[in-house]
Amino acid sequence: MKNSIYLKSLKILKQLTVVLILCFAAGGLLNSQTALAALQQSTYSGTVNDPNGNVLPGVTVVIKGTTNGTVTNIDGKYNLQANPGDVLIFSFIGYVTQEVEAGNASTIDVVLSDDVVGLEEVVVVGYGVAQKQDLTGATTTVSSDEMNQGAITNPLQQVAGRAAGVNVTQVGSEPGSTPSVRIRGITSLIGGNDPLVVVDGIQGNMDLLNQVPPSEIASIDILKDASATAIYGSRGAPGVILVTTKKNDKGQSTMEYHGTASVDMLSNRLETFTASEWREMAQVWGVPYSADHGSDTDWYDILVKNGTTQNHTISMGGSAKNFNYRASATAILQEGLVLNTRNHEYMARVQATQKALDDKLTLSVNLNSGVSRYEGNPASVGRAAFRSNLVSNAYWSKPTDPVLFQDGSYFYDEDVFQYINPYAVAQEVINESETHNMFGSLRADFEVFKGISLGWFGSWRKVDINRGYYEPVNSTLPNAIDHNGVANVTTNLQDEKLMDISLNFNKEFGKHGVKGVAVYEWQRQTYQGHFAQARGFINDITTYNALQLGTISNVLPGDITSYKNDRTLISFLGRLNYSFNGKYLLTVSVRHDGSSVFGANHKWGTFPSASAAWRISEEPFMKSIEAISYLKLRAGYGITGNQQGLYPQQSMQLIGESGVTNFNGELITNFAVTQNANEDLQWETRYQTNVGLDFGFFGGKLNGSVDVFSAVTENLLFNYTVPQPPYPFSSIAANVGSLKNEGIELVLNYRLVNTNDWEVTLGGNLSLLRNEVLELSGTLNGIPLMTDYVGMGYNAYLIEGQPIGVFNILQHEGRNESNAETVVDRNDDGIIDQGDRSEDRYFAGSALPTYTYAFIPEVKYKNFDLSMVWRGSGGNMIYNSIKSSFSYFENLGKSNLLRSAAELGLYTSQYSTDLWLEKGDYLRFDNLTIGYTINTEKIDYIKSMRFSLTGNNLAVFTQYTGLDPEIRVDGGNGSGADAGIYPRVRSISAGLNIIF
Amino acid sequence: MNKIAIALLSVFFFISCVDVEENVYDKYAAQDFYASEAGADAALASVYAQIAGNWDGVGYAGADRGWYDLNSMSTDEQVVPHRNTGDWELDFARLYLREFLPSDAFIANTWNWLYRSIFLANLAIEQLESANAEASKIAEAKVLRAFFYYLLIDDWGNVPFYTENNLTVDQIPQVDRKDVFDFVVQELTENVEVLDGTIGGDYYGRFNKWAGYALLAKVYLNAEVYTGTPMWQECLDACNKIDAGGFKLHPGTLDDSNVLGSKYFELFGDVCPTDEVILSIFITVDVVGRNIYTIRSLGGADGNALLGGASTWNGSIVPYDFYEKFDENDVRIRQFRHGDNPYGPQPSGFIRYSLTVDNLDNPGAEPDAGIRNMKFFPVEPFNGGGASNDFPIYRYADILLMKAECLVRMGDAAAAKPFIDQVRQRAGLDGLASNPTLEDIYNERGFELAWEGHRRQDMIRFGTFTNAHGLAPAVGDHFNLFPIPTSALNANPNLGQNTGY
Repeated sequence: MKNSIYLKSLKILKQLTVVLILCFAAGGLLNSQTALAALQQSTYSGTVNDPNGNVLPGVTVVIKGTTNGTVTNIDGKYNLQANPGDVLIFSFIGYVTQEVEAGNASTIDVVLSDDVVGLEEVVVVGYGVAQKQDLTGATTTVSSDEMNQGAITNPLQQVAGRAAGVNVTQVGSEPGSTPSVRIRGITSLIGGNDPLVVVDGIQGNMDLLNQVPPSEIASIDILKDASATAIYGSRGAPGVILVTTKKNDKGQSTMEYHGTASVDMLSNRLETFTASEWREMAQVWGVPYSADHGSDTDWYDILVKNGTTQNHTISMGGSAKNFNYRASATAILQEGLVLNTRNHEYMARVQATQKALDDKLTLSVNLNSGVSRYEGNPASVGRAAFRSNLVSNAYWSKPTDPVLFQDGSYFYDEDVFQYINPYAVAQEVINESETHNMFGSLRADFEVFKGISLGWFGSWRKVDINRGYYEPVNSTLPNAIDHNGVANVTTNLQDEKLMDISLNFNKEFGKHGVKGVAVYEWQRQTYQGHFAQARGFINDITTYNALQLGTISNVLPGDITSYKNDRTLISFLGRLNYSFNGKYLLTVSVRHDGSSVFGANHKWGTFPSASAAWRISEEPFMKSIEAISYLKLRAGYGITGNQQGLYPQQSMQLIGESGVTNFNGELITNFAVTQNANEDLQWETRYQTNVGLDFGFFGGKLNGSVDVFSAVTENLLFNYTVPQPPYPFSSIAANVGSLKNEGIELVLNYRLVNTNDWEVTLGGNLSLLRNEVLELSGTLNGIPLMTDYVGMGYNAYLIEGQPIGVFNILQHEGRNESNAETVVDRNDDGIIDQGDRSEDRYFAGSALPTYTYAFIPEVKYKNFDLSMVWRGSGGNMIYNSIKSSFSYFENLGKSNLLRSAAELGLYTSQYSTDLWLEKGDYLRFDNLTIGYTINTEKIDYIKSMRFSLTGNNLAVFTQYTGLDPEIRVDGGNGSGADAGIYPRVRSISAGLNIIF
Repeated sequence: MNKIAIALLSVFFFISCVDVEENVYDKYAAQDFYASEAGADAALASVYAQIAGNWDGVGYAGADRGWYDLNSMSTDEQVVPHRNTGDWELDFARLYLREFLPSDAFIANTWNWLYRSIFLANLAIEQLESANAEASKIAEAKVLRAFFYYLLIDDWGNVPFYTENNLTVDQIPQVDRKDVFDFVVQELTENVEVLDGTIGGDYYGRFNKWAGYALLAKVYLNAEVYTGTPMWQECLDACNKIDAGGFKLHPGTLDDSNVLGSKYFELFGDVCPTDEVILSIFITVDVVGRNIYTIRSLGGADGNALLGGASTWNGSIVPYDFYEKFDENDVRIRQFRHGDNPYGPQPSGFIRYSLTVDNLDNPGAEPDAGIRNMKFFPVEPFNGGGASNDFPIYRYADILLMKAECLVRMGDAAAAKPFIDQVRQRAGLDGLASNPTLEDIYNERGFELAWEGHRRQDMIRFGTFTNAHGLAPAVGDHFNLFPIPTSALNANPNLGQNTGY
């Protein structure tokens, strides 16, 4: 997907807008206002149908301006006394309310159009809620009944593919690993690209999502454009994810069970040489017989088994006139595909709301506590030539190497530098952690006068992570062998407090509606931790549980460390919503933020936004255009900031420890300057414009939205290159460059069939995104910072005028007579320069996708339901580093190779070229769920019950030859490269939901 | 009273309401720290911390792609061949073959290390002066800075020059090699005599007066290369000053308690003997620095056979043309390991290295090809990350050979003979049959100082650096300087590249 398609889409959008505007004009002309005056009351009657011709019982019919009315009967019929000229209002949940003027005819039949836009839906917008119809910014809401089902371990998996412009990426299926999410692209380089997460008002980083039971979520609202996120000011630039948990409706008392259990299978594996193939190749390539240890081992098969995932939640709740509570207990148990990897999570939560003082005071308490236990393989292990996760080291192990020696000990090849036996590592290394999560909040709202209320909110969150690690000598890891066993323990303590005071008012003056909120907010996050390590154990009995049993006299620098830092954010913010006649909507917000992480002179920043919306379909001239049932135009502009990705203390000249040095005949701590300080470190600001159109056609059968946005990040935070001399370090955190993101998001839903028995809906979305690094060089206090061609690893770069992560790479040519790879000398100077700015390199596409899309068909037949999620992305290239690592025959004597190496026939290469660059486009059949809801009318005690069967990751369509095309695209170093991932599962899960 | 309390409370509340000052719990503020006496000492110590080697090309004798590798592997004394098993990146071989490019890591690492060291030396001088520290300490910091500038002009010629840290890059001109040379000479002549004269103890691994003169002698020794004007007499004078320190050659007697069978190798053991070594680097692996030179050279099975399982790297070798000049009776030949009957231990399973390698890059050398070096035979603690042998920067044998060289060059070969003979006799050889020639001096320096980081400077001074040797073809004269790293040129547009690159 290159520029041409992007431009084409823009063109189509423009044409669409022209057509729509013409439609409005025509509607206005055709609209004839006939005011018939009649004095006589008469009886009006008729039938109310849905768009598919089914009768609608229970529709409320009221005469406008009165309380007189009735309800349609079981056949959808009604009778009502009214005066000619009265306006009858037909309303029913899930349908668009319709007004009809009573005329001469006594029969008024009405067809109510579907309210698939969910106009009445309440949307959480940050520091408040709004009706969806009143929104002026770009937000996506995914409610619980729309979420992905199956073996869910993280809330983000429930929205993957469901929201346009929201790219959820899961790399591999390691238990406990969480997906990354990028909203509208990469907005920052070091300021942070992770969206702010707000769970029932509690703000946090992405890890807060791990603490919410997926089945207890009522809705996830994603704020995308600046006019929506500016209320979160300095934390709003990467977007905001708002999670609202389930609450019991008034008068409802329930007990529920939601559970799934799945079998997780390996979805794909790379083909490496079998033992006999290896021997064949060894002969061809002249590998000495001594390298053949006579075995026939499938290392990958030894390390990878089937896994399981279970998710059980029991919840209960009740609600009466002035109180409401809900509590739940959850267990999410994952057993990974790879030997000895698992993650078990347990969560319990209680929330209660009580009203008092004649319902003027509302108190809400929320308590959430959780423990998760992780056991995994050590990260980044292997020999100097290939370091990766453990399971990828299985490709490296030769099929002719046995797993064990004759005596039962782990096989080890001393002729190979830093040999590791991956089975030994999986079995013998202990790498586990336990995370304790706790958060609680108290909210008090007091209605001072009607329409004016005062609120206080406080939340406190603590996350304690304790890790233990032990690598014994028999793990075969070089470090363990060198040090006779290494054990360490790590504790990280995270403490996040937030307090805000808010003033709300909400008033209608005739046709004018005004809503406002003003907030003072204080946040402090404190991070603290310690680490201790010991080596040299006489046996492996105590693992990491008794560091003192190691050789304590051998304590080395870095074996004992601790740290503490914190960050404070103080904000004053306000928002005003104004609506006129329910048609014209205006939202203005401003936030003034002070953050401790910036330089002394630049602590404070101001982030305003404004947006407006026009509900065109409410205009009289639109009423007669039946094809258009809903139309709303939105436009917004806002400035947001970014700072969460920036570590504290970067603006200061500080002295820290830098190892040990010998001085005055003794070993002393070496104190050294820790960084190039920048006293002028300040906010990075993102200016974003968004124009959107929400529409519904043919009585709501077809609805959706289009959004176009353009965003520029200025004062881009980055570690810019500084000259050495005079700087002691090669880079400085500063605000110099700029980035640009532009995109289009299209959402469409089409209700194909909707009868009593059948309901077929086709949903889909498409996002086009392009970004460009506008500037990286500039000056800092007059000092030129000549930053450009900054490597992000694996030939991906930040280069001015190019997209983030552009591949700047040598061009493969072929091989020479000794089968070494040759490359094209693009500048014909006879030298192949591998430097960053070498003219022998060329731009070969971007590491980041330029489009993402999803197709979500849903079918309901009687009690059966079926839904699918197909999602994909593309326009990006992947550097298949795994393939390059396992394709050179010079390595055959010490490692296995991929089967594809035979065809390439390369002995060696001194380059990393575009030979390993592959298209990253893919389409994944991500989810197929079939459900059956049992008729519970005749079953006592059970209100509802549903069985379901889900298949996850059923198929992937891609040209990419690696394990899985869904690799890191988060914009950080290593984006766009596949250096070995934990395998991705294909899972079949069974689900059961019961409400008692 | 109440009103005042309320007013105070509200003021307090308001202030804390908007307080976003940064709290620092786990570091020291630079200003406060250096203002203290301990801080000024620490500033000086942190300059020395730069000299001990470590990963990422840091240090004088670091681990992979730093100053030592740049100045040793670009010569005829060692190279890491790419192996036909796929081991070892090609940039080591390219360095030996003089195919290096300005974008190579060796070059940028060394440049960045030296300028970081100069920044720290500037800082130390500033802090020591403002703390009114002892004159010897201030002199020590200045001599350290001169040391780094000397290393810079030795490798690059014209280099950016600054002596105060609070300057911007446009205030730091690229200064002629000769002018930096003059500065170095001036700083040294002004400060060396102020340095403390203590040998060993508190001054082990530090610039005492003798180390200062050794440095000054080195600078004079290469004056002709740097400026076009030789300064042999000045060099000789500086060398003679060192005699007052009472240095002598460490004995070279045979001794079975030494793993290589001679006391000579104690010079490269755990602690550098202060009878001979004038300036050394203190090394304890994983604590301060790491000496990788033998670990990097030996093959995997020798790690098991000789070194109790430490994962050795099968890396650097000694080119045959360098080795073949050694006399078989020379005790110094014991540093080399090859064949069926090598010096040092011969446990079962030891590797029989061949004498030569046919190919350095493509397809690369056979795994067991090439002579290995165990001059720094690992002393405890050691592991796959290196050993704890201290490293001699300047030692008296070097000074003796410098004296001999100056005398020969000034035409007094007869006076030079006793100095070179002393060195030869300590190694178990006879004195020279006739008065030394320059070639004798050159060769003797190769025998005595192999793998100690002096080779490139010596080859340039004797005009042999760009000649063909071993598998490396002859190259143009501009290779007598390294190219200024691409990263430095990119970051500072005022810098000019050296001619020829």
